[in-house]
Amino acid sequence: MRKVLGLALGILTAIGGFLDIGDLVTNAVVGSRFGLSLGWVVVVGVIGICVFAQMAGRVAAVSGRATFELIRERLGPRVAVLNLGASFLINLMTLTAEVGGVALAIQLITSVSYLLWVPFAAVAVWLVIWRVRFTIMENVAGLVGLCLIGFAVALFLLNPDWSDLGRQAVQGVSTGTEKVSTYWFYAVALFGAAMTPYEVFFFSSGAVEEGWTVKDLAQSRANVLVGFPLGGALSLAIAGCAAVVLLPQLIAVTALSQVMLPVAEAGGKILLAFIILGVVAATFGAALETTLSAGYTIAQFFGWPWGKFRPPAKAARFHLLMIVCLILGIGTLLTGVDPITVTEISVVFSAVALPLTYLPILIVANDPEYMGEHVNGRTLNGIALVYMVIILIASIAAIPLLIITGAGQ
Amino acid sequence: MTTGSADQGSRFLDAQLHLLDRQVLDVAGIPVAVVDDLELSDVPAGGELPVDTPPPVITALLSGPVLGTRIFGGRPPKSRRHRTPWTAVSKVGVVISLAIPGETTDLTWTERWVRDHVIARIPGGRHDPERKQNDGSTSKGGGS
Repeated sequence: MRKVLGLALGILTAIGGFLDIGDLVTNAVVGSRFGLSLGWVVVVGVIGICVFAQMAGRVAAVSGRATFELIRERLGPRVAVLNLGASFLINLMTLTAEVGGVALAIQLITSVSYLLWVPFAAVAVWLVIWRVRFTIMENVAGLVGLCLIGFAVALFLLNPDWSDLGRQAVQGVSTGTEKVSTYWFYAVALFGAAMTPYEVFFFSSGAVEEGWTVKDLAQSRANVLVGFPLGGALSLAIAGCAAVVLLPQLIAVTALSQVMLPVAEAGGKILLAFIILGVVAATFGAALETTLSAGYTIAQFFGWPWGKFRPPAKAARFHLLMIVCLILGIGTLLTGVDPITVTEISVVFSAVALPLTYLPILIVANDPEYMGEHVNGRTLNGIALVYMVIILIASIAAIPLLIITGAGQ
Repeated sequence: MTTGSADQGSRFLDAQLHLLDRQVLDVAGIPVAVVDDLELSDVPAGGELPVDTPPPVITALLSGPVLGTRIFGGRPPKSRRHRTPWTAVSKVGVVISLAIPGETTDLTWTERWVRDHVIARIPGGRHDPERKQNDGSTSKGGGS
């Protein structure tokens, strides 16, 4: 019984934890401009994150080593320091976007400017990291984040023309009135949002935090293989809501409130309250994950003691670093930069950094010195290699597309 | 290069593959640093070496600012090296284990400084978030 409960809990947290501000915003923007014609990217991205997240989890469980320690061991200091610089900056951008997302969601409840909430949100993130136990932190954020199921409920309440939505989803590349380059720009952004590198840093370091062993592999695989696709389905529901309500009225999403417009129309105040709670939990959870990931990557590169399982005084530099990152995040947001813009840019740059994160995991997952009998099977390697090609193309195309389309304008 | 640690017998190690950029753990399994560079014993500089010159041996593991020189080139002055003597190494495996507590080495001074001047001064800095679990992976003494 406990096992079943544990499994259910793991899956539920994976669903709630899958979505962050990047997924929320990008899916709504894409839905409002392209309908469901980019839905296939979400499917491709979710399969990709499943493949690599369970690989990183397996590496961590078998070898007890988290991703960034291995990146440096395998690639040497020069490549690793480049990788670290890129990953860290993108992670910092994502962290800023998530804290901004929490503040924006609270603004929707209170009507008090989000700028005022930014410091409170960041301090709350720090307090949780400082005091709360890892498993509690992860489970609470994930479970409350499940409120985002409200988007699926809203889609049903809107009673859309399902055959029309289905046609949009399967017709593939269709740009409507938009330019082809804009279509592909958003394809890369959606892919980056689904496969954000911090998820892998967090997943592998979290496995070490929770002391996973080979015995926990089945559970971790179930969490990923069931939880992430369901999270991906919620992403599609967000895009679907936007496609049904916003696309016909030519409202292109530029603010968080617009993401929730379809929900308010479909389910009224109660569903809206439910969704806002879900958004707060999802962005707060992601803010925790990105803050910890910032600490994990640097601490693992330099070999510092790290982890929430140690008292802060036993991982002093790790904790100081996270405090500094949160302060940088607050500072960036208080300049008045639009958190939604930060989000959109962060998912594109995530796409740029993808190969740097995923290649070392693939290499180590094939190294018997670390993995013993648990090295990758042939089928998995085949799929992973196909994904490396897709990732590489997305990574190379991201910045040219960003420039050509003027960030999707 | 060979190492004669008692628990491994004699085996060949490739400095690049097995030593550099490896995680170093202390006697309690707490991370100390990553091996950023190695210090070798001096060989007489210039001219042809006499036939009976002993080969250089590893004298210490280096960590800290020396990393910059591996990325950008150059060599730091000897006085600025943060070193742990090779004699403290007890095992070379996927990680390098030391036979001494990390607290006592040069390599951890920044960690100790940040702890004593910043983190331990913030309320709750010595609180162990996982203390209700007793799986042994928690605080190793001095929790509060």
